[in-house]
Amino acid sequence: MLSVTWTRGLLRRRRSRLVGTTIGVGVAVALLASIGAFLSASKATMATRASRSVSVAWQVEVQAGGDATAVQHSVASFPGVTTALPVLFARTTAFAATVDGTTQTTGGGYVVGLPAAYSTAFADQIRGLVGATEGILLSQQTATNLHAAPGDSMTISTAGLPDVTVTVAGIAELTNADSLFQKVGAPANSQPKAPPDNVLIMPDTTWHQLFDPLAISRPELLTTQIHTDYTRPLPPDPSAAYRKVLGDGHNVELKLAGAGLVGNNLAAKLASARSDSLYAQILFLFLGLPGTVLAGLLTTAVAAAGADRRRRDQALLRTRGASTGRLVRLALAEAGLVSVVGGLVGLLGALLIGRLAFRATNFGGTTWNAAVWITASCVVGTAIALAAIALPAWRDARQLTVTASRAIVGRAKNPRWQRYGFDAAALIASLIVFWLTSRNGYKLVLAIEGVPTISVNYWAFAAPALLWVAAGLLTWRVANVLLDRGRPLVTRIVRPLSGGLSDTVAASMRRQRRLLARGLTIVALSTAFAASTAVFNATYRQQAEVDAVLSNGADVTVVEPPGVTVRPDQAATLGELPGVKGVTALQHRFAYVGNDLQDLYGIDPTTIVNATKLQDAYFVGGTAKQLMARLAAKPDAALVSTETARDFQLALGDTLHLRLQDGRTKQFTDVPFTYAGVVKKFPSAPSDSFLVANATYVAAQTGSDTVGLFLIDTNHSDTIAVAAQVQASVGTSAKVNDIANKRRKIGSSLTSVELAGLTRVELGFALLLAAAASGLVLWLGLNERRRAFAIARALGANRRQLAGFVWSESAFVTIGGLALGSSSGWALTRMIVKVLTGVFDPPPTTLAIPWTYLGLVVGAAVTATFFAAGRATSTASQPAIELLRDL
Amino acid sequence: MTHIEDALVHGSDVARTFGEGAAAVVAVHDAHCVVFPGDHIAVMGTSGSGKSTLLHLLAGLDEPTVGAVTWPVIGTRSQLRPGPVGVVFQSPSLMPALTVLENVTLPLLLAGMERDDAQRQARQALGTLDLEELAEKLPEELSGGQAQRVAIARILASCPRLILADEPTGQLDHATGSHVIDALVAVATTTKAGLVVNTHDPAMAERFPTRWTMADGRLTTPEVCTCSA
Repeated sequence: MLSVTWTRGLLRRRRSRLVGTTIGVGVAVALLASIGAFLSASKATMATRASRSVSVAWQVEVQAGGDATAVQHSVASFPGVTTALPVLFARTTAFAATVDGTTQTTGGGYVVGLPAAYSTAFADQIRGLVGATEGILLSQQTATNLHAAPGDSMTISTAGLPDVTVTVAGIAELTNADSLFQKVGAPANSQPKAPPDNVLIMPDTTWHQLFDPLAISRPELLTTQIHTDYTRPLPPDPSAAYRKVLGDGHNVELKLAGAGLVGNNLAAKLASARSDSLYAQILFLFLGLPGTVLAGLLTTAVAAAGADRRRRDQALLRTRGASTGRLVRLALAEAGLVSVVGGLVGLLGALLIGRLAFRATNFGGTTWNAAVWITASCVVGTAIALAAIALPAWRDARQLTVTASRAIVGRAKNPRWQRYGFDAAALIASLIVFWLTSRNGYKLVLAIEGVPTISVNYWAFAAPALLWVAAGLLTWRVANVLLDRGRPLVTRIVRPLSGGLSDTVAASMRRQRRLLARGLTIVALSTAFAASTAVFNATYRQQAEVDAVLSNGADVTVVEPPGVTVRPDQAATLGELPGVKGVTALQHRFAYVGNDLQDLYGIDPTTIVNATKLQDAYFVGGTAKQLMARLAAKPDAALVSTETARDFQLALGDTLHLRLQDGRTKQFTDVPFTYAGVVKKFPSAPSDSFLVANATYVAAQTGSDTVGLFLIDTNHSDTIAVAAQVQASVGTSAKVNDIANKRRKIGSSLTSVELAGLTRVELGFALLLAAAASGLVLWLGLNERRRAFAIARALGANRRQLAGFVWSESAFVTIGGLALGSSSGWALTRMIVKVLTGVFDPPPTTLAIPWTYLGLVVGAAVTATFFAAGRATSTASQPAIELLRDL
Repeated sequence: MTHIEDALVHGSDVARTFGEGAAAVVAVHDAHCVVFPGDHIAVMGTSGSGKSTLLHLLAGLDEPTVGAVTWPVIGTRSQLRPGPVGVVFQSPSLMPALTVLENVTLPLLLAGMERDDAQRQARQALGTLDLEELAEKLPEELSGGQAQRVAIARILASCPRLILADEPTGQLDHATGSHVIDALVAVATTTKAGLVVNTHDPAMAERFPTRWTMADGRLTTPEVCTCSA
């Protein structure tokens, strides 16, 4: 009964305190539930995207002695398999074509036989570039090697068979060549580094006519795979989906009893998705957890602002005979009220945020997930309420005497952690752990292909966690020491605001230093949280953009079809199109490095940056600018991949002999280059080995300046519209890619974690916390001291003098908090970005600073401070007797 | 014959009503009163009789709803504090975050005095009331009687012309309260200030040469012959 009366009294007389703590609990619950929704939703999205992005789920390779038809039937009958089509492979010794009187011959390759239904069932596997899309199709690279075009004849040489001549109907791109030519059953590190250079595709009927005789004489040259589509419902969690798909693959192998091996493409995609989902989980720990802890600290600070009043209330009850148990029960009633109302407010907020930011209708992918997240959020909210309200009440009731409970200020002793230097210890420990973590290259997620379990290096979390602790404690120490021992300095600092009262104000601040240091620390941590989250997100977006530019080449890219001669001066025509800011022409050739055929890009190192962005991370041994300068300084300079430099033991200045096709003779001829450095990534270049050289030198040596692609900068304006204009200009034979479409593909690829929703939620909460930390904590602190201000007013203090007290404290808390928080935020961001290197592709060379958002955070904190201090000054300026009567 | 123009405070037909309509409570009815320099007055009355409201009106902390309160020799309401009028409250009225010395110094600083001068004057005031040893204590480290004596020292430091004390001994035992009254009288005598003390303790009131009585908001004062100049 007393609890009800007490709670009613709190609602009537301590509303500010209750509202403040309820908001704190609500923010924590909402943040946790929102991030839970993000986590569940993004995990489910990752699994779905993984399933959708795979064209051929399984490539079941028929083993020697196996019956292909029986294997096909067996696979087709497996639950969930909707399509099962045979794909035939024949290994050849050479392809040859005679064009314009010269004959080109390639090395060994593959002839792939496809059934008629294949192009419909697996439409994403083959993309027609030139000529027909059915019949005898030549892969793009082979067409370039042979200099063949649709209508040309070519010869297929196969061991054990006479040469066969066929007519090329079209040129096509094998979009999933890596998986198509995988070594089925081999582990990832035993897979071929690159797909074969020479591939010919033909209808299965033709293939059978040409290669069936080999089935008896040279069966080892032939392979049959059953390509399957698989649409069985999968669990939303990528790890569970991976385990399921992997298990199904094994089950198929079991049923085939050795007649077939499963190349599980879907499992491979899901394996990468489970890494991404773990990274999402890690992001939650790095970015979400500090926010929740901060919301908890904020609630504690709000509750602590009214602690003196609560102690006095308790003291009054104790003088009336209330036991410790009774006092704790009353505090529990308050904590219960706060946790229930705060929990409801937080869940409603999370629901709203989920709908707005993630378009999630519940808190997780499934009802079970939703229930787990709702329960977890409410448990955390209740724990915060108990820690902020009930725990201090219990501690005070047990430890303080009635007289001590009535004390308002007390001669504050430094806390034990400060005396023992826990802050410095945390900082040192953080740096040591960070150093240890950096030694393994910040590998947080270890996902081994084919192994169902996945491991996370949680040890890496210790460094940022300890740095958070150190930042909080050090901020507290700095503020505390400054107020305690730096009174002359504080007097000087507050003089502009409090004039002749500055010494008294400084003295008052010294006695209130526990309250002020706590407020300043909360503001600093909120600022650090906002800054680190914003900079991390901005850097992530920056790198995602870099990734998109890297994949697409530039804002808009024109890829010329093979065999077509395009002059570099077409760049000038493209440059005049509306919306085009810069254009550069790239030669795309193939060059033999020893026996290895690699892509070679001929560029103009002086103008390439006008059309695309080059990151320092793309190069080794110098910045992008330095490497481009090296190329520009020496016409025959060439940049090679790390593998090439290592395999050929190259040293800077070495001569590198490459074999390039001569534009006039169509023969591969030896062209000397000078090794000038290492390039790891380059706009539009493949992820495996490639070369970069000067276009003018390549043109001079090969007698051809034919352009392979144009990179176009639109200054991020409407790239889709510009791409349409470019397409109209270059004609339908060339393929025009724009970054907007590429960005969508990259965003939905499994190599990047979807952060857009998390960003919106995190940044929103960070802003809210920064404003609440400065405004709410300050206002409640000042509000609890209305009596002191009323006394000053009764003694004759005018509004300006009262404002001196209020503004000095407010400015100290807010400006000090923002300054120290910015420093902590900078250090935390650097560490988090380093530790989360695995999330970035490519790793950032510089941090992206979102000045507008940071300005908003400072603005919100300052506005909240103005509001709190203004309200406090207005209240304190009321007639003293009204205040004293009310209190 | 005493002239109103020489009065420290003069209340004429003063009434103070709280609330409106049916809920209105008239705390003070048609009060006439005047305090001259050197007057030592005790205002007697039971709890809720309107003593505190009257004192707040005389101190300029509250405004009458009817009638007028003036301070002929001091000036307007805005000139009352800091300095000329000192008020002692029943409950603790020291700034909790300031030491005793800083509390006593505060009104002087609010009045614009230099810090060193203010501290010297504050120390003198504390010395007068034998409170020097408490100078560096915080209010929470003082007893109730000590806190009230420090509040009196704070008034003394400002050399007020009118001291108004609202039940300054209300929360103290008789002996301690007696010391507080002694201090108040001593300060008023030293500064030749007018002193008005609210009390419901007849024994305390007996120590004052003049006694007013409040009952149900009505003030009864001895007949004093006053006239305008």
